[in-house]
Amino acid sequence: MEEIFFIQEVVPALLRGLLVSIQLIIPSAVAGLVIGIGVGGLRVYGQRWVAGLADGYVAIFRGFPLVVQLFIWYFGLPHIGIYLTPFMASVIGFSLCSGAYHSEYVRGAFLSIRRGQFHAAQALGFSRFGMIRSIVLPQALRLALPGCGNEIIYLIKYSSLAYMITCIELTGEGKIIASNTFKYMEIFLIIGAAYLILTSVAGSLLHRLEKRLRLPGFEHYSR
Amino acid sequence: MAEKGPVLRAEGLSKQYGARQVLRGVSLSVNEGDLKVLIGPSGAGKSTLLQCINFLVLPDKGQVFLDGREILHTRRKELCAYRQKVGMIFQDFNLFDHLTALGNVEIGLTRVRSMKKGAARERAVMELERVGLGEHAGKYPAQLSGGQKQRVSIARALAMDPKVMLLDEPTSALDPELITEVLSVIRNLVSEGMTMIIATHQIGFAGDLANEIIFMEDGAIVEQGPPAKILTRADCERTREFCSKITSPYGESR
Repeated sequence: MEEIFFIQEVVPALLRGLLVSIQLIIPSAVAGLVIGIGVGGLRVYGQRWVAGLADGYVAIFRGFPLVVQLFIWYFGLPHIGIYLTPFMASVIGFSLCSGAYHSEYVRGAFLSIRRGQFHAAQALGFSRFGMIRSIVLPQALRLALPGCGNEIIYLIKYSSLAYMITCIELTGEGKIIASNTFKYMEIFLIIGAAYLILTSVAGSLLHRLEKRLRLPGFEHYSR
Repeated sequence: MAEKGPVLRAEGLSKQYGARQVLRGVSLSVNEGDLKVLIGPSGAGKSTLLQCINFLVLPDKGQVFLDGREILHTRRKELCAYRQKVGMIFQDFNLFDHLTALGNVEIGLTRVRSMKKGAARERAVMELERVGLGEHAGKYPAQLSGGQKQRVSIARALAMDPKVMLLDEPTSALDPELITEVLSVIRNLVSEGMTMIIATHQIGFAGDLANEIIFMEDGAIVEQGPPAKILTRADCERTREFCSKITSPYGESR
């Protein structure tokens, strides 16, 4: 009897939740990374006022608790006439928060590129933008990858906050089932394991990417 | 026959860092095929002068002319076009770390001169062979010796078809046994008629090849003239003192 209930109700619900989680994580990870690279670039190479704005963005989005940010996107914005679906509010919230953290890693990587290479690029006739694209970015992204990978692993876990604004993903589905069945221990252990699998898969993909992008002279961050 | 004007001419270049006047209105000009050698103690402003000439350091005052045309560094496009025609070699090579030797030579062609991939590759291979690095094309900077890196950087500059090359102490960061290989590449350039300004301490080399040696100190040109004169019977006491020190560093003058 219990087994039947488990297979008929719990598994599909959790799989549904898992799917929503993945749908939240992937666009947020991509958008977060893009925002992070852009903002990181502006903070290092932007004009003073632009860099200041970018710094302000990072301060706010790293400073506000993520739950509070999600509440603002979902419960707050309707007061000024903007209605977001729970899913949209979550993706926007995650992307902007993740972008702020990514920009820190990217900024550090930008700053660690030897200045002499800028001179060499300028002396060849590169424009500023061309130099950043062809010389700086390919190196900076390699250097930032371990940090950014870490942020993506975090994102996988904090995507569980989406259920707080009624976007019912893995954790949300689990919470509902657990409240109905009082099987908190079992359900949350299963959910924990599911996140562990997600983070492990992401971790190994990132590691493989690192290995593929590894170049002589850039090995210092790996074993 | 009317004499050709100088290829590159700098007029009254001045640069100040804080309270320190690094360049005090330096003027100089190079004719086609000339090799001018800048000598002088460290801190004399040789490096700053070269960097001001292609605006890697913006001079506070002064003008630079290429083929008689003044270069306005505020016009970005014009500046980039000018820099393509002025090759620069740095003391510490400044290769792009993420690119192979071939990639380093190629990238200016593909990304700055918008050359087709195949043509750029062909040209880059040719330039690497010209500096004797054909078989090292696939190596990354981290896998090359200092002398090899400097030769790659010379190939990288040559690929852009520069009218003038500025070499900022190209052998100062090299072990003694690696200096020769770089100097022989530069020697070849001289014999091919490349127009160059070199800051160097390789005085024997300068004496052999230079059309003119320019002695700088304290941000100004003290004296300039043909090597035979500057190195042995300079007018200026300070020039003589400096030259005797670097020609016989262990001699009695020390």
